[in-house]
Amino acid sequence: MASIARSALLKQAASASVRPAFHSSLRTAAFHTTARRALLPPPPQIIEGSVNDAAPVPPPSPSHGSYHWTFDRLVAGALIPMTVVPFAAGSLNPTLDAILCATLLIHSHTGFKAIIVDYIPQKRMPKIRMGFNWLTNLATAVVGLALYEFETSDVGLVEAIKRVWAA
Amino acid sequence: MAALRSSSSSSTARILASARPAFRLSAAAPVRGFAQLADGAQQSQTATDKPAKMKTFQIYRWNPDTPTEKPRMQSYTIDLNKTGPMVLDALVRIKNEIDPTLTFRRSCREGICGSCAMNINGTNTLACLCRIPAEDQAETKIYPLPHTYVVKDLVPDLTLFYKQYKSIKPYLQRDTPSPDGKEYRQSKAERKKLDGLYECILCACCSTSCPSYWWNSEEYLGPAILLQSYRWLADSRDERKAERHDALNNSMSLYRCHTILNCTRTCPKGLNPGLAIANIKKELAF
Amino acid sequence: MNTQRIGTTALRRVAGNPNSFFTGNVAKIGFASHLNTQTRQVATQKLTPVDGDAITAKQRLVRPVSPHLEIYDKKQTWFGGSAWQRITGAGFSGGLYLFGSAYLVAPLLGWHLESASIAAAVGALPLALKGGLKFLLAWPFVFHAINGVRHLTFDMGWGFSRNTIISGGWYLWGASIVGGMYLAFFV
Repeated sequence: MASIARSALLKQAASASVRPAFHSSLRTAAFHTTARRALLPPPPQIIEGSVNDAAPVPPPSPSHGSYHWTFDRLVAGALIPMTVVPFAAGSLNPTLDAILCATLLIHSHTGFKAIIVDYIPQKRMPKIRMGFNWLTNLATAVVGLALYEFETSDVGLVEAIKRVWAA
Repeated sequence: MAALRSSSSSSTARILASARPAFRLSAAAPVRGFAQLADGAQQSQTATDKPAKMKTFQIYRWNPDTPTEKPRMQSYTIDLNKTGPMVLDALVRIKNEIDPTLTFRRSCREGICGSCAMNINGTNTLACLCRIPAEDQAETKIYPLPHTYVVKDLVPDLTLFYKQYKSIKPYLQRDTPSPDGKEYRQSKAERKKLDGLYECILCACCSTSCPSYWWNSEEYLGPAILLQSYRWLADSRDERKAERHDALNNSMSLYRCHTILNCTRTCPKGLNPGLAIANIKKELAF
Repeated sequence: MNTQRIGTTALRRVAGNPNSFFTGNVAKIGFASHLNTQTRQVATQKLTPVDGDAITAKQRLVRPVSPHLEIYDKKQTWFGGSAWQRITGAGFSGGLYLFGSAYLVAPLLGWHLESASIAAAVGALPLALKGGLKFLLAWPFVFHAINGVRHLTFDMGWGFSRNTIISGGWYLWGASIVGGMYLAFFV
């Protein structure tokens, strides 16, 4: 077919007097579909059920859905005044500082969990998913303890950042 | 051989024209549509006096008959003076005159069927609504919709997409009969809520522009399906709002949306899937 | 040759089944094949739906996935506010978790991670390095803060017009760099 196309092509090219451009019109280039080291290469395509079946609908679980989302937004929204006020007002209320630490910890924890949900699919790698979930839980507990230590034995998070920044 | 080709193609055009009167109309119009692309003779007569305006298109190729061969980019150079203004015109011209093996979906050529959705110069759009960047000397790159399984060349497999569409029950669900027994009436304000939603043609441009959908297409519904879902949630006549909410209220179906908003930026129909998803989240929030 | 074959089949069928309507059609087909020079000599076979599905399923397995991150508009992938929101956030949270864990084990290993000793260590750094380090912390902080507010407004359903999204993205980069500079060098 290619040879047929080319002869037709050349005739056309001659009539339009644009031979060189047409001549190179069939060149091809190598192309990498996937990155050389794809972190999470997509699996071969498997369609569950026939093409006329609807995709399965998961059971409702608001604690992972709407409640979780609303809680996340409230935490994020609460962080705005909590980060701005202590630095602006220079207040060193230890209770506020502790609340800021706790909120930051929750914000970090849900952030890590969201990353896990996004990039470690439950279906394809349930064990790795579970491992990372527990690792996050453990790390959050450890860091919670560490922040408690820091708050009680050191100068507090806001004051520490202030001092390091001014150093 | 060339003569044979042109005669067969013009006879095809004749058959097409007699079968569909609409085509004849568009062929009579000055420079439009791809009906007259098939009619090469008339074209070249009008175009020979102008200097040739060459443009190169790089197109993604993969052939299912030789599955072990890696996908590659193939370049085609055509004269824009002989081609219609849209990328789809160029594709049809390439298929007609240079390489008949080039495969792509197209149907309406006016942005209403959604068949020719593809990635052109990095953005998902409909080839029939996308002008050829004629002033730009750079090669135009055309890929299938991103992160889809490729059936052939520019043809993606949208089976899962349609299955997900089916899963949201995209039809009016209602138990109470209408008061007059004839039709379900809406106020003008209620009808207005569907504007910007009902126009969606399910071309999958937005869903395949969404990184969340790239990574989690098996469970996340994606912008297009969620916009359709909101279209039924926003419909005053539908009576299954609670069930529809429950179907979305889990960690994957809806909440993998992180307002990246590639969907709104890419929609070839100018709709706003991002806003529709935000509205669903707001409805579900409290 | 094809015409001939259709003609003979037609004759055979007419002989077996003298249906005038059908013969009329066959005559038309024979006539049309004179005009149309395209032939398709492909052997076909009947398949049950199950067999057909099996063939499709087998074909699906070898399909490549079309390119995505590497070809999508760089302005939306590599400079997307949402992606950097996650990167900066994960950076700070990761830093907090690392520091927290280290702070907890520091007494056992004899490290000094108290705020006073860190401040002293930072104070001893040359000015340029200190400024650079501070900018490396300040820029992601400002970015995450501004974009966090931006995302909260998105969640309220505001600012979804295409132009707002696009220009907002660029303002975000500009403001975060300016703000980061300010925090790093003037505070």
